[in-house]
Amino acid sequence: MNANANDTDAADDWLEAALRADAASHAHAYIDDAGFTARMMSALPPPIEAVPAWRKPVVTAIWGVAVAGACVAMPQAAIDVGREAFALLAGQRLSIPTIGVALAVLGLGTWSAAAYALRND
Amino acid sequence: MASPDTDAALIARVVVNDDRHAFAELVRRHQSTVRACLRKLTAGNLALADDLAQETFVLAWRNLKSFRQEARFSTWLYRIATNCWLADARKRKEELLGDADSELPDDEERADPAQSVSDHSHDAALKMDLEKAMRVLSEGERAAIVQCYHNDLTHEEAAYVLGMPVGTVKTHVLRAKQKLKAQLGAWQR
Repeated sequence: MNANANDTDAADDWLEAALRADAASHAHAYIDDAGFTARMMSALPPPIEAVPAWRKPVVTAIWGVAVAGACVAMPQAAIDVGREAFALLAGQRLSIPTIGVALAVLGLGTWSAAAYALRND
Repeated sequence: MASPDTDAALIARVVVNDDRHAFAELVRRHQSTVRACLRKLTAGNLALADDLAQETFVLAWRNLKSFRQEARFSTWLYRIATNCWLADARKRKEELLGDADSELPDDEERADPAQSVSDHSHDAALKMDLEKAMRVLSEGERAAIVQCYHNDLTHEEAAYVLGMPVGTVKTHVLRAKQKLKAQLGAWQR
């Protein structure tokens, strides 16, 4: 028994002894496996298959085709969005640092979205 | 004959190579202590203890990469097992309290050791009463007693397992002993 458990006074000896005896019987009682490990291993999640090398370029291409397809299918909407975006940007007082920050934010957003979409798990 | 792999070597094989045979060996080595700990925490509910033990090892498998060897592997398993038990006990709180109320003798009906001894050996009878008395302890108190006595951990190790400060562990142990003394007062000589 651990020495830390000994911080009791003499009046507690009987309880201390009872706890020690109970712990000792617990410590010496080996529980037979009896198929536990086998059941446990069958409960593990199945192995994750490695992501094939072609997956990333294919997913990227699909996203590209989807965006291009949306532009072709709804040309007016694409033009409107482009115009609005241009008007919004043109209305801003732009400077080189502002453009740099905007590009950095845009790049970070794109990278994060791609990393999330192409994650392994 | 080759010496058996250490826990650390088996863990490395699991982490690096996703080696399920190595993990099975770890389970075989530690299943007895983990199941015994959970049997104690669940007050002898074998089926529940085994379910929680299975949950413990599944969680260990999923989180083995985060095991930084700051404690023994067995201590880390105790920590997961105790957390599983606490989560389950909170879910079953009302049921557990109901069981404790119905099965624990009140002051007038508390076991008389003299009568018990006539049927059982003194030690066996005390052990049974101790088992019953453990049910009046709060989850934290019971967990502290199990870790410090049955799993033979230091207060520092128990604090790691229970995720609480060392002082709180000591307080839990002290309060648990006071409650056990009150429940087992008839045994005091």
